[in-house]
Amino acid sequence: MFEQILMALINGILLGGVLALLAFGLNLIFGVVKIIHMAYGQFVMLGFYFIYTFHTSWHIPLLLAMALGIAAMGLIGILTQLLVINPLLNAPRLNQLLALASLIIVVENLAQVIWGADYRGIPLSMPIIQFGEIFIRSSFLIAFIGAIVTLWFLYLFLNRTYLGLGIRAVAQDLEMAKGMGINPKVIYYITLMTGGALSGLVAAFFVPIYTVHPHFGASFTLMAFVIVVFGGMGNLMGGFISAFIIGIVTSVTAVLSSKEVADIVALLMFIGMMMVRPEGLLGTES
Amino acid sequence: MLNVHDINVFYDEFQALESVTVKIEKGQTVIVVGPNGAGKSTLLRTIAGLQKPRRGSIEFEGHRIDRMEAHQIVEGGISLVPEGGRVFPHLTVMDNLKVGSYNKGARPIAKQRLPQIFQLFPVLADRRNQRAGSLSGGERQMLAIARSLMAQPRLIMLDEPSLGLAPLVVNMVFEFIKSMKQEGYTVLLVEQNANKALKVADYAYLIESGKMVFEGKSEDFDKNPYIKTAYLGL
Amino acid sequence: MQAINKYGFYGQIILLVVLVMLPFIITSSYLNHIMTLILLWSFVATAWAYMARFGMVSLGHGIFLGIGAYFPTMMFNYWSFTPWIGIWVGVAIAVATAAVLGYACFRFGLLGDYFALVTLAVAEVSALTIMAFRETTGGSLGYTLRATGKISDMQFSDKRVYYFIALILLIGAVYIWRRIDRSPIRLALTAIEESEIAAASLGVSVIRYKMMITLLSAGLTALGGALYAQYVTYVSPDTIAGVGVSLSVCFKAILGGMFTVLGPFVGSTIIVALEEYVRISMGASFLGLSQIIFGISLLIMIIFLPKGIMGSMSLAISRKLNRID
Ligand SMILES: Nc1ncnc2c1ncn2[C@@H]1O[C@H](COP(=O)(O)OP(=O)(O)OP(=O)(O)O)[C@@H](O)[C@H]1O
Ligand SMILES: [Mg+2]
Repeated sequence: MFEQILMALINGILLGGVLALLAFGLNLIFGVVKIIHMAYGQFVMLGFYFIYTFHTSWHIPLLLAMALGIAAMGLIGILTQLLVINPLLNAPRLNQLLALASLIIVVENLAQVIWGADYRGIPLSMPIIQFGEIFIRSSFLIAFIGAIVTLWFLYLFLNRTYLGLGIRAVAQDLEMAKGMGINPKVIYYITLMTGGALSGLVAAFFVPIYTVHPHFGASFTLMAFVIVVFGGMGNLMGGFISAFIIGIVTSVTAVLSSKEVADIVALLMFIGMMMVRPEGLLGTES
Repeated sequence: MLNVHDINVFYDEFQALESVTVKIEKGQTVIVVGPNGAGKSTLLRTIAGLQKPRRGSIEFEGHRIDRMEAHQIVEGGISLVPEGGRVFPHLTVMDNLKVGSYNKGARPIAKQRLPQIFQLFPVLADRRNQRAGSLSGGERQMLAIARSLMAQPRLIMLDEPSLGLAPLVVNMVFEFIKSMKQEGYTVLLVEQNANKALKVADYAYLIESGKMVFEGKSEDFDKNPYIKTAYLGL
Repeated sequence: MQAINKYGFYGQIILLVVLVMLPFIITSSYLNHIMTLILLWSFVATAWAYMARFGMVSLGHGIFLGIGAYFPTMMFNYWSFTPWIGIWVGVAIAVATAAVLGYACFRFGLLGDYFALVTLAVAEVSALTIMAFRETTGGSLGYTLRATGKISDMQFSDKRVYYFIALILLIGAVYIWRRIDRSPIRLALTAIEESEIAAASLGVSVIRYKMMITLLSAGLTALGGALYAQYVTYVSPDTIAGVGVSLSVCFKAILGGMFTVLGPFVGSTIIVALEEYVRISMGASFLGLSQIIFGISLLIMIIFLPKGIMGSMSLAISRKLNRID
């Protein structure tokens, strides 16, 4: 039992890294565009299907297929900004939310029509690493390392480049950012593109771990919300920390009872946080 | 250089500026004075492209700018020091200055510009890695000015830079505005502190309830009995 | 405004007469089935819009549908407890749940999109709970109501009975809507929507009125869920609990117009009919296609006609009438 919990703890941390990536994308979009991307998990699903099709049907080598999938999702992000968010920039918050929620319907059913309701995956045999009684799947480890490296690059991008600076400035004070010569439209496109590409990257990390089906994304959308709200909406650091908290809590609870109970616990944490401390663990600021 | 011609500006249905005309020649320091809520900030925000006029035109160096986006106007050479020194509180002093040089014209020379700026405002050099939100009011105002200078503007607009500052710092700010004139900047200054502002001005406007009610050289303002009692406290 | 009320009134009378006659004119049991579904969903969407029109946009009504559907069904299957009473047990549980959730939300001042997000999470909790208790609830595979064919078990040989039950419920929901319109609650809640503080300073008990509407909406939604379960004799977390159905109820009302009394009915009619048409003409595998069309038209609607079909239409009509006057 002890080994099992320890293993769950490790898996929780490893998966927490990937969840942190997911939360980062959602947070970035919320912080900069001030919009809650209701279909973010569905984007991950779409990215997974893209990689699946590129590799399985078009016989593109897996790594290249993944790169193409990430690029395709970046493009989808741009299209989302162009077709859905731009026309609603000055609309009431609730309308923006509902519009993105209706994207869920479009994306899930698109997947259903194109790929059908079956579970699809790319069979890969990844080695399992053993430390005494503890087994770690290398796919989890790779995903974790990949996620942390990506987050590090994103950190550098935000802090070392003019574009990153522009993103942070728009997130803080849109009007002043305009007054400093920043074109917010460009920043929004970059943000949605980055968010989209991140969902594609998360999908790539998921390829050796999961199989995909049209409702695959829903639970990840919710998981990303839980993390983002828990850490404070728009707070990138808060999202990073809470990704690990939620990752560990769900993974350990799942071992102790069941996957559903684990998700329920996470959602109840989310609901409680939303009511008692809507600004999250670390408050809402970037 | 700047030609604001007969503009009307609204916030929804509320008219904040009515038929306002302002002219500035290259190298001049022009001031706009007026009571609270007269529309001074609105005028500057409209020139900066943050507000759109419903009527009239704004020309800068011969080009129409009233239909341009704010970021294009910055690239065109106009920079705004906003009311209350509105800096980015969560960015460091250094990053705030860097945001100032965001526009394409300013980026390549940002590196050379920085030491000059730090020479002008040594406090900022000391605080360069501090978050702007932790600066004092005066330091914040200096940062806002420094940030605008980083943008390589030809016209710099200041919105009540002396507001809420200690008298000593206020004098410093006005000294600085004088020195900017010598460096060849064209300055549009909005002030409630009419006495001090008139001393540095080549030309002045008085705005009340969204309308220009008087304009002239500093001496004309000094001579006008109404302005004397209402604004100069003489 | 007078004129539009008069036209509206006659229009509704004619609509009512048509709806009463329809099952006798159309004998196809398939079409009757579709019409029953339309009325049931209209009823639920109308109940949902009670809250939404005052700014409480819930994305979690699936929990009330689920409670209403599962409790009577399970009580009947396990204990042979008649649905005639079981339904009200379900409704009572749903109302109690709504009381707890609503009080927590309003007490902590959750508004707008935060309210929507919390209710969305609640919907997911309801579906997950059903799956977690899969030994009793059947989990994601769903659960079929035991067939007896006895009226005492709420099972009728003539399926049209459900059509009329649904019709009566819808009329009731419309009637309640009108009552709310005429009651001081409406004024108070509109004031709430415009400004909580202003309403509070007028001495309006904000939380109390919000709670009243919420309990009403939840109870009727649960009733709708219960009848749906009894009618189709099958429940599953995908069809009657969880996020999917919550969103689908909310979108039906939005498409038709959630500020207009017949909006939810119009929206439900369009969506259910569209789904069925695509399913019949292209086969079940293309069901997704109708949903895609639906999703895109929703998007277009939210962007260009945020008041929904009925809302935009009545706006256009009243403009025209004003011009004539
Ligand atoms: N965002 C806004 N929405 C609506 N009305 C506004 C807005 N901003 C300013 N106003 C109104 O427009 C008028 C002019 O405001 P403005 O800020 O230009 O005045 P000001 O001359 O700068 O005053 P102060 O000296 O106090 O800064 C005021 O009556 C103000 O209430
Ligand atoms: Mg002002």
